[in-house]
Amino acid sequence: MDLLSFARGPALKVALAVFCAGVVWRIAAFALLRIRRDLNRPRNSLFKYLGAGLYTIGTRSWPHPEFIRRTGAGEALGYSYHMGLFVVVLLFAPHIAFLGSLFGITWPGLPNSVITVIAVISLTLFLAVLFRRVTSPVIRMLSNFDDYFSWFITMLVMVTGLAATAQIGARYSTLVAVHILSVDVLLLWFPFGKLMHAFYIFPSRAINGAILARKGAAS
Amino acid sequence: MITRDAATPASGQLSVGEMLLAHGIGRRGFIKFCTAAASAMALPPWMGAAMAEQLRNAARPSVVYLSFQECTGCFESFTRSFAPTIENLIFNVISLDYDDTLMAAAGDAAEAALASAMRDHFGNYVVVVDGSIPTGAGGAYCTAGGRSAVDTLREAAKGASAIICVGTCSSFGGIPFADPNPTGAWPVTAIVGGVPIINVSGCPPIPEVITGTLLQLVSTGQIPDLDEHRRPKAFFGNTIHDRCYRRPFFDAGKFAKTFDDEGARNGWCLYELGCKGPTTFNACATLKWNGGTSFPIESGHGCLGCSEPGFWDKGSFYSAESTPQWGKAGEATPKQVVELAGITAGVGAVLGTASAGVSRLRQASRQKAAEHEHQGDE
Amino acid sequence: MSDVAVEGLPAQARVAGAMQGFSREIGALSAFRLESCIHCGICADACHYYVATEDPQYTPIWKVEPFKQAYKREASAFAPLFRLFGFKRAVSAEQLEHWQHLLFDSCNLCGRCSLICPMGIDVAALIEQARHAMFDAGLAPKELYDKAAHQRATGQPEASAEPYRDQLIAIGVRFDVRIPLDESDVDVMLCIPRTDIDHYPGAVAALARVMSHLGVSCTFRSDGLIAENYGYYAGGREWQRDISLRLIDTAIACKAKTLIVPECGHAYAALRWEAADLYGKPLPFKVLAVTEFLAQELGAGRLRLGNATTGPTTFQDPCQLSRTGGVTEAPRALMKAMGVDLQEMRNNGSFSYCCGGGGGVVDIERAAPLRYRTMEIKLREIDDTGANTFLTTCSDCRRTFDDAQRHFSWDKSPESLLELVAKNLIDAGAGR
Ligand code: SF4
Ligand code: SF4
Ligand code: SF4
Repeated sequence: MDLLSFARGPALKVALAVFCAGVVWRIAAFALLRIRRDLNRPRNSLFKYLGAGLYTIGTRSWPHPEFIRRTGAGEALGYSYHMGLFVVVLLFAPHIAFLGSLFGITWPGLPNSVITVIAVISLTLFLAVLFRRVTSPVIRMLSNFDDYFSWFITMLVMVTGLAATAQIGARYSTLVAVHILSVDVLLLWFPFGKLMHAFYIFPSRAINGAILARKGAAS
Repeated sequence: MITRDAATPASGQLSVGEMLLAHGIGRRGFIKFCTAAASAMALPPWMGAAMAEQLRNAARPSVVYLSFQECTGCFESFTRSFAPTIENLIFNVISLDYDDTLMAAAGDAAEAALASAMRDHFGNYVVVVDGSIPTGAGGAYCTAGGRSAVDTLREAAKGASAIICVGTCSSFGGIPFADPNPTGAWPVTAIVGGVPIINVSGCPPIPEVITGTLLQLVSTGQIPDLDEHRRPKAFFGNTIHDRCYRRPFFDAGKFAKTFDDEGARNGWCLYELGCKGPTTFNACATLKWNGGTSFPIESGHGCLGCSEPGFWDKGSFYSAESTPQWGKAGEATPKQVVELAGITAGVGAVLGTASAGVSRLRQASRQKAAEHEHQGDE
Repeated sequence: MSDVAVEGLPAQARVAGAMQGFSREIGALSAFRLESCIHCGICADACHYYVATEDPQYTPIWKVEPFKQAYKREASAFAPLFRLFGFKRAVSAEQLEHWQHLLFDSCNLCGRCSLICPMGIDVAALIEQARHAMFDAGLAPKELYDKAAHQRATGQPEASAEPYRDQLIAIGVRFDVRIPLDESDVDVMLCIPRTDIDHYPGAVAALARVMSHLGVSCTFRSDGLIAENYGYYAGGREWQRDISLRLIDTAIACKAKTLIVPECGHAYAALRWEAADLYGKPLPFKVLAVTEFLAQELGAGRLRLGNATTGPTTFQDPCQLSRTGGVTEAPRALMKAMGVDLQEMRNNGSFSYCCGGGGGVVDIERAAPLRYRTMEIKLREIDDTGANTFLTTCSDCRRTFDDAQRHFSWDKSPESLLELVAKNLIDAGAGR
């Protein structure tokens, strides 16, 4: 079996299995802990504070005006590489073929040149993110193995992907194989590290937002 | 490495040049042929003249052509080299001492020809193999003259100066080797060693690639530059995708989605229809087939990747390169994905519930311990 | 280790206590919060401790770091793996002692960080929870611990020169207002911060005056009087409950339908948003902040206010009332009704910076130098408004600013919104 067949065959299968099992495991392990009912009278109706929770999903996507001056640039950096990543992951034709074969639906993509430009930009931003992580005293202090490894593996996926499209470094089949392998590693790592924030971010905003709104507080 | 002796005429033998002259092919015509062959191999044009010179003075090296578990497609291809004179030339350049398809002799006489070629040219003859070598049932799946292919190959390899594997079967096992490989078929490299082996893969290989490789070998006496699958880089250095005329459409993200849609009619890229061009190293996009007439992608069908190892077991020919291929079963269907996700998510749910249960138990026991302590305080 | 409340507790036991306390309290919600952090460091920019010092250790989420560690080791999905491979080091005693500084001296539980986190994490809620664990480990700061213990035992955080009951009566005499005391069968029970009795008796009188003006049937109760809850500050969950229970039981005893919490932010938070959980069932009465109550009366037309001549005025939102309590509009409605020329600070309402004294910090002596440093942000914002009157509605805020006034020789002193209301009452009948 050659590397590519291995990467998109058994390795992918195992990675997907670990991914699904791990994600559910990790979520269930905390979601099934005790949930204490809040016995204090809410200020707002259930409908209203749940609505406010959903609303928080949107509003927390960007800092409140009071915070923009201090955090606007950092958040913009974070969001922009995320967006670049999503565009590349979702709108590059080979990716669409990949996802399409997994989920049974396809959608139109973007020309490779556009994708390549976006990928290069995201990659640069992603480097900047690492730079910030190691230079900002706060972020450096908070960072642990998880942060660096998750960064590394995401970077690996980006670099191998770009190398494969640009056909530099090795032959295409090898590059694609390494690219898919790195995705496999990413999937394997996903449930164990911070990449889980992909699943947490919206529920977390909504739940915490709703809890604040229950008190009539700002969220 | 082929020894120089192989190319020096032994007494009583005609040199290639003399042989050609006898056939009415002059020096000029021969150089022309060699130059064409050199350019097909992407060698500089002066190499053609040098090759011609070299060959004219060389004795025709002995070549034995062994056909094992094969369909003769490769041989058919071999005989369809583009210039009409080429097969002629090839057979004049070499001394094809054994080939069970072409030779007039049959039965014991044919086998005797093989034996004598191997004896007379021991150490100097070139073996060409097409077909894989079945090892199952003691090699009984493929025998000639009462001898199994394995034995014949092993013996032939002993005195060979080089082995050229023509076709994917002899190079990588090919279709007989594909799952479930009922005959226990293997490629040549798995059976013999200690002799230079050149793989000219393809199902079948392009005629000019076969003749070109052979010509280069016998003319220079050198094993050409090979890639990691032992294929001559001159022909297998690029992927189909690298040289495909539909590449601009690939780059622009324009793909045919079915074989009869607008995109297909407009000649857009066949990637999504399963074209294996991006991972296939071969010369189809440049040399093309039938004397440069066309090649599969030009006629609207994606590349099958036939010159790559294991091409038959890499899933559907019609699923895109980047799609998941789950083992021999081929492309992962959404149903399989849902099943996998469902089962593993179930496992995760069990594990997660167990984790939460354990945490809760730990919490409860701590709570009790704390209360106990508390009571002790009062 | 003079600052450690429970002395002589061996280090090991202390750590074990903290970890047990913490993991005991971890529920799905707090686990989710701990899980979600992506280490982006953005919360630092909301916290005045970080903004003022740029010292990374004041990053809000870092204040619960040992507990995040403990969670991963003790309760998370892969806790057994974490323990097995030692991915996360066990929390050490020294670490916890250092964290006392971070959890108590340098956090006001103000909740500003909870509004900035892009993951939506309520960081302040985690810090409050971590304080509980610190308390269990005997690591609550001495000042808070002692006051909490005293309050739990006696009903008041410190011994007073004279009983508070007598002091209330004296205030009534001094300000010439009837102080309803120890009555039963009332609609409203009032409580009062002991800070007001000790330092701002005018606010006590104002409360009584406004209530009697509105003709509300109400009373102070000497058996359940003090609004503060040092159990909440110190992190002693049981103590907090016991202290709240005193007010709850009294309110039930005097059949009050409403408990009005006067100008005290954390008392409101403790009674309005935490008491029922500790009580174990919903409270049988409503809890209202006094400004909330007055705004209601105003809206209903029962309260009429004259124009206050305060000139340009700014207003300090107490964190526990506004940001985390939801009482942001009420004080503004009252000021508007009095025609106050409100000059908002750059960060106001829910985004206002904490006075720096909340969360018990103003009581922790060794925290003062840092507190002064962080307060400079706030004082500058106040000065920048150009206002010459400075209102607030929390006695702890007032205490903190008055302290700052002395420390910085600052030219402003916060005044009570309640007192301003009491001064500008118009007879409901007068206008008709
Ligand atoms: S048709 Fe095949 S070889 Fe040609 S560009 Fe498309 S994918 Fe590549
Ligand atoms: S609650 Fe306030 S003081 Fe405490 S960490 Fe958050 S922002 Fe800082
Ligand atoms: S802002 Fe939120 S996610 Fe970022 S470090 Fe702070 S708590 Fe963690």
